[in-house]
Amino acid sequence: MVDLQRILKVFVEAKVRFVIIGGAAAAAHGSAFPTFDLDICYDRGRNNLDRLVKALEPFHPRLRGVPEDLPFCFDTVTIASGMNFTLTTDLGDIDLFGEVAGLGGYRDANALSTTLVLFESQCAVLSLEGLIRCKRATARPKDLLMLREIEALREMEIQVKRESGPADDRNQGRIEDKQTKT
Amino acid sequence: MTKAQRDDLIRLIASPPAGSKIADAKDFGIDLTLLIRTLEMTPTERLQQLTAVQAFFQELRSAMKTATHG
Repeated sequence: MVDLQRILKVFVEAKVRFVIIGGAAAAAHGSAFPTFDLDICYDRGRNNLDRLVKALEPFHPRLRGVPEDLPFCFDTVTIASGMNFTLTTDLGDIDLFGEVAGLGGYRDANALSTTLVLFESQCAVLSLEGLIRCKRATARPKDLLMLREIEALREMEIQVKRESGPADDRNQGRIEDKQTKT
Repeated sequence: MTKAQRDDLIRLIASPPAGSKIADAKDFGIDLTLLIRTLEMTPTERLQQLTAVQAFFQELRSAMKTATHG
């Protein structure tokens, strides 16, 4: 279980540049599939790595699924040397992605993101279109299962948008779509 | 979401256009009525629901562990 409200607040207050991807992004758009971790795509610029490390450090991040005695130093050098990290923290499981299959890096993910108000903070969340690209690229059985739901969700969202417009988007917590065409 | 939009979605998932992604998901067994419910929520409410589901699963796992190992 991950404390989404707290971890998002921590990232936003630390001014970490990130995009919420994966199951939590799908849930924010309306997916009914449960997920138990938070996946983010982070900007690998040096300043952002510093902010990310400083924000997460107090919650004792360590590698998930490895022996507990395996040495792991969560610092900027380690994050800069690697790319994607599956972590467990005092706030729950968090996966950090420098690159995302089907998308690329942070800039690509951010370009395909939507700004949503989550727990009173504005967060970049991968759009349904972006999620569809990811799921098609990874294509594991569980991704293909969720892909069907997300594609249906997109058609349903289009139907709702057709009948409402941007004003209703604001009421639903959607601030801005960065994506203009796909 | 207005009542009219909700009713339109209910009609849409009851009889989705052939070849649509909605039809594909329905044929596959995805419960689309759940999506209407989540589309009526704000993104924060959706994540709060996700958190509640996570808490329920955690509780369930603990109960199973206790039942199995005492």
